[in-house]
Amino acid sequence: MMDPIIFVLAGTLAAGTSMLFAAMGELVAEKSGVLNLGVEGMMAVGAAAGFVTVATTGSHSLGFLVGALTAGLLSLVHAILVTVFLANQVASGLAVGILGLGVSAAIGKNFEGTTVEPLAKLDIPLLSDFPVIGPGLFSQDIMVYLAMLLAFGIWFLMNRTKPGLIIRSIGESPAAAHALGYRVLLIRALCVLFGGAMAGIGGAYLATAYTPLWAEGMVAGRGWIVVALIVFGTWIVPRIVLGAYLFGAVTLLELSIQAMGLNIPSQLLSASPYIITIIVLAVISRNKTLISLNSPVSLGQTFKAGS
Amino acid sequence: MRSIRLEPRAEQSLLASFLVSGSAILLTLLAGSMLFVFYGKSPVAGFHAFFVEPLQTQYGIGEVLLKMTPLLLIAQGLAIGFRARIWNIGAEGQLILGAIAAGTVAIWFETSDSLFLLPGMIIVGALAGMAWAGIAAWLRVTFNANEILVTFMLSNIALQLLYYLVTGPLRDPQGFNFPQSVTFSDAAMFSILLEDTRVSTALIIALVASIAAWIFVRRSMLGYQLIVGGLAPAAAQYAGFSAKRTIWISLLIGGAAAGIAGVGEVSGPLGMLQRNISPGYGYAAIIVAFLGALHPIGIIFSSALMALIYVGGDYARLSIGLPSAVTTIFQGMLLTFYLASSLLLSYKIRFSDPRVAIQRSPAS
Amino acid sequence: MKNLTKKLLSAGLAIALTAGMSAGALAADKLKIGFIYPSPVGDVGWANELDQGRKAIEEAFGDKVEAVVVENVPEGPDAARIMNQMASSGAGMIMIGSFGYMNDGLKLAKKKPDINFIHASGYKTADNFGNFQTRNYESAYVAGMAAGYVTKTNTLGIVAAYAIPEVVGIINSFTLGAQRTNPDINVKVVWLNSWFDPSKAQESARSLISQQSDVIFSLYQDTPSVVSVAEQEGVYVVNTSSDMKKYAPTKLLASMTISWKPHFLKQVQAALDGKFEGTAYWGGMADGAVSVSSLSDDLSAEQKAELQAVIDEISAGSFHPMSGPVVDQDGAEKVASGTAISDGDMLGINWLVKGVETRIPK
Repeated sequence: MMDPIIFVLAGTLAAGTSMLFAAMGELVAEKSGVLNLGVEGMMAVGAAAGFVTVATTGSHSLGFLVGALTAGLLSLVHAILVTVFLANQVASGLAVGILGLGVSAAIGKNFEGTTVEPLAKLDIPLLSDFPVIGPGLFSQDIMVYLAMLLAFGIWFLMNRTKPGLIIRSIGESPAAAHALGYRVLLIRALCVLFGGAMAGIGGAYLATAYTPLWAEGMVAGRGWIVVALIVFGTWIVPRIVLGAYLFGAVTLLELSIQAMGLNIPSQLLSASPYIITIIVLAVISRNKTLISLNSPVSLGQTFKAGS
Repeated sequence: MRSIRLEPRAEQSLLASFLVSGSAILLTLLAGSMLFVFYGKSPVAGFHAFFVEPLQTQYGIGEVLLKMTPLLLIAQGLAIGFRARIWNIGAEGQLILGAIAAGTVAIWFETSDSLFLLPGMIIVGALAGMAWAGIAAWLRVTFNANEILVTFMLSNIALQLLYYLVTGPLRDPQGFNFPQSVTFSDAAMFSILLEDTRVSTALIIALVASIAAWIFVRRSMLGYQLIVGGLAPAAAQYAGFSAKRTIWISLLIGGAAAGIAGVGEVSGPLGMLQRNISPGYGYAAIIVAFLGALHPIGIIFSSALMALIYVGGDYARLSIGLPSAVTTIFQGMLLTFYLASSLLLSYKIRFSDPRVAIQRSPAS
Repeated sequence: MKNLTKKLLSAGLAIALTAGMSAGALAADKLKIGFIYPSPVGDVGWANELDQGRKAIEEAFGDKVEAVVVENVPEGPDAARIMNQMASSGAGMIMIGSFGYMNDGLKLAKKKPDINFIHASGYKTADNFGNFQTRNYESAYVAGMAAGYVTKTNTLGIVAAYAIPEVVGIINSFTLGAQRTNPDINVKVVWLNSWFDPSKAQESARSLISQQSDVIFSLYQDTPSVVSVAEQEGVYVVNTSSDMKKYAPTKLLASMTISWKPHFLKQVQAALDGKFEGTAYWGGMADGAVSVSSLSDDLSAEQKAELQAVIDEISAGSFHPMSGPVVDQDGAEKVASGTAISDGDMLGINWLVKGVETRIPK
């Protein structure tokens, strides 16, 4: 039995985890200057491939691995299109996203509506015995903690290391980075690949740990929320982490409010992540220095070496 | 040692544009036949179901034209913005807003048989689509907020707005609580163009819009400004063209077209407001616009092709049992291959030998 | 002007058509039956039960019939195309498996009087357009009684699809059944507004559990999503359509199963004999269309006997789950003491009984 407070805490962490994984990947890709609007499709592919793997082998680690690889493969298409073929990033992301939705349905076809054993929950000794919040915060599956660890890792990478600096400088000014001898296109491609793999893990988490069930369309807009999330968090890791859990809580709140019998249209809550993000975007974009402090300047622009 | 170099083309020829689309289609068909084999179907049977069967009956052709109507209309509107590098990817939301606004009028005048009802709905639908896109334009010109992200967020908000309205205020009071509105009166419906089909006069609007788009792009000063603004923003600035004006016009035209497409759906095949208004026409139209090389005539062909893929996908489900995922995969592949092929459109590939490069005449 | 355009277009089409006209004429002696389901057939659930009906038809009639199936068809304009396509490819009978297909199906039925339609749920009929529904409220009453026995918090949570009368009736009956064995019952509902949204259904179930529900009712959800959550969280669960014991081996309280087989077989036979009538069929426990299966072993022998006694009464027609006095959420008497609700009132029911906390969305 769950207590409402535990439900909200535990549910929020779990609901935010899939989005947090995908958002960390998307952040790295965007920091390098590549927008990926195909997150939804990549999460779907990761979910389908991860689920099928767990359903047939029973191994969750293998499921995450296969989910990451399959979505990574899909993001490779995006990476190649935007780097080698100099394609428009918006169009390429959409193309790959649509492709991913179709491919995910094909992968999962024979597993439609079936379930697998969820990922085991870990009880962190002592802490999980803490009254009320203990079971909510410290009795989660391992991916919930790994997502937080990943977020810290990405923050550290981006702000405290040389590779992070290179990625950021490529996002700021690919031409300058190129002049300094960095292989802009290769690094961008790797960042996109990483983004795809993380979206795949996020999707696999949904299908093999959170739900754990496969059904076509089960990502249900979370990939779109991830794109919003980066903007909401103004490309800053701690804010994105906060946003992931906040948006996760909103999806739960919508249903809780209904069950409690409160008279608030649930659709308003469903729309709220997008409404808030537009407001945040307008506020940060207004000030040229403010936006250039956070968002990668070359985001969305194709770069061709030597041009 | 030979190296490959890319040189930007001075200008994009129309022929080259269509070659790129053609090669995208060919590559898609090639990959598609592999997909059919993967599903244990012969490619011949697959292509027959996809591209021949729908065209064998009048009803099938009608269905293709029916699907083509919103795709054509939206893509024409989007292409104008895309040429100017204004990326409105929220046509889906603008379509929904058009449908909601026109639907509200139809529900309000439920019993009306006025000849002005449908024209009124079209105008209201266009205005609603413009207003929704206008939010993105306003945020872009006033706050410099990226229109890609804003139009995209607005689409998701539009969908929730629709869900709210059909579950509550606009729900049919006698409809047993099912989330749909009353059925529209005949005066609120487009008339049928072809007997025994569902093609409506909305197709005429889409075709007229295509001609208008062609004139706009080819003949008008405004169209010229948008192209220049897109291809060479600096030159446009120099010539005194306003970037703000480009943003407003691009988004408003796209919004109006998508809004009218929404009216075409609710006053055509749907005949009511419900949760499912569009199976992603707003997104598919982006593919259509690109595949048509952002050219008004090209878009007519690409919208017909995309409509055929939609309808053919359904035929293939019934006649050879292919899953619906195949349709989605086809759409994704078309745009993917188009983007890959279009490298040849913007750049010339040169295989050059550095040792002889110096001897080359500069005119080559 | 408009007429001219029409004629020109039609003439052009007629020429283009001659090549493909032969398709409809073949195998006139074989009855081709089309099936359209709103969700994927999957392992269990609504579409799966419809598909079981299809299999029964194929088994019983062998090569006298030919079945074609299209699954996962959204309730929208595309459904009309698939029906039409079935009609033009020579189908003599079409089974449309969702409420939202009603208007498109009826439109086509009027245009094609020689094709017989059977529609799952819905409320409209025509000479060649019959509908079929099951009296799931009968099994819901029994499941409700079981829920009343096992609940410790006296709170039951329902994850429901749409607030259509069919669903409202089931919720009422479930609540009345629970109140029979446990007068202090309190029922919470989350309306999903979807037949098929597994992850949202699960989140709803979790949210209901957090609000003290210790029996969850998965009402018209096509997947075992809610059922498996209940097993994970250790609360009892009741579900509709299929037996889902394998998805909650320890926590399934009861499955309210349905069977279309008897009705489908009868309808196909009638169509083969040329005697099809567009009637509204409403099958219950007495017809074998509705039953309760996999009652949990956590119920005592006496409790099971009590449930069986009620099943027998309902099957025999001597007891109606909605027998008066029944009062609605505002305390108004809706069914008078000593009477039972009429079929007509039940088909259009739009009020919830006292004890249900959630309102019908307005």
